[in-house]
Amino acid sequence: MYRIKRFIKHTFIFYAFIALLYWIFIRPVHMNWGATAAEIKMKLPGDEHISLNRIVSTRAINIHAQKEKIWPWIAQTGQNRGGFNSYYWLENLFGAKMVNADIAHPDWQNPQPGDTVYYGKNEGYGLVSLAKPNEYYSLGGWTFYLQSSHAGNTRLIVRYPSMEVKQNKFNAIYYHGLFEPLHFIMESGMMMGIKQRAERDQPNGKE
Amino acid sequence: MEKSKPKLSNKPVAYNGAIVAIASVFAYSITVMIYSIIRSSITIYDVMPKEERSTILLASGFSFAYSVAVFSLLMAAISCIAGSIAAIILKKSLQYFNPQFNFKNAILISCVIALALLTVMYILLYAMLRDWMTSDYIETFLFWFVLPAVIFCAVCVIGGGKINRYLGRN
Repeated sequence: MYRIKRFIKHTFIFYAFIALLYWIFIRPVHMNWGATAAEIKMKLPGDEHISLNRIVSTRAINIHAQKEKIWPWIAQTGQNRGGFNSYYWLENLFGAKMVNADIAHPDWQNPQPGDTVYYGKNEGYGLVSLAKPNEYYSLGGWTFYLQSSHAGNTRLIVRYPSMEVKQNKFNAIYYHGLFEPLHFIMESGMMMGIKQRAERDQPNGKE
Repeated sequence: MEKSKPKLSNKPVAYNGAIVAIASVFAYSITVMIYSIIRSSITIYDVMPKEERSTILLASGFSFAYSVAVFSLLMAAISCIAGSIAAIILKKSLQYFNPQFNFKNAILISCVIALALLTVMYILLYAMLRDWMTSDYIETFLFWFVLPAVIFCAVCVIGGGKINRYLGRN
């Protein structure tokens, strides 16, 4: 039993160390992963849906493709459509029953405000609040914004407002304890999944 | 005058059962953490250009580690109750069905108890989760049901052997 107790003690210390490093060094980085100072301050469509009680992250990624190649993958977001282009194996651990489409499906290319987007099978859902093809797509403040940059490249800027955490202690514990790091993993996975799919269709893209 | 045998009370058995359950959860969580970090890192390595890779590898890896750590602490709190109950049931069963404290019988009894407890737990889980308990996604089925079941059975058998040895010695 002594060795088992020692293992528990060391694991606990290891986890506490990870939590400390996460809070001091990692969280400040991942909240605005890839985004420039200008992009963090930039006003995006959908910002009007974000109340002051929320914690807002802005993340961005370079995609070597034009907006038109990226939009189809954003337009078909949702478990009831083409998936979230993220780590499907992680989503399915929580029973999401997620399948990521490998082609841009013609039926899902024209999302309209009010359309239902499921986050998992028979789970929570969001409503599309704004959608302008090749420009932006917003699910109640969770906004995907496409901005052309140099040489036919595009910046995908993603802004996410948390749940109402600043005046609700239970929400705050759940959000900081589990939701926020998991959401970062899934959202960055989604951004990389979109990049991968959009660049795959480019003549010089990765296969 | 016959010397009375010292009894193995329920309290230390339950305590040790809880300790072993927490250790099992931690060991499992470390395995899951390593698996998740490696699998996500392969994707990141494949997608991100070299100069942008290190930040996302670190951020993603630590976020996985932190999430798993928090989740495992919650699971440990729940599992220690299951571990205590299982240990007491094992002790009582060994005392009742194996009064000679034969080692082979003890292993067999521990196996049967482990499978019976698993069956009860899975019936309860099925009643609560229904169609979430799907074998459609191999990762989900392995993560939530198959691997915990294997660990639970192994721990029950090893723990049963140790309780039996203690009971036989006294």
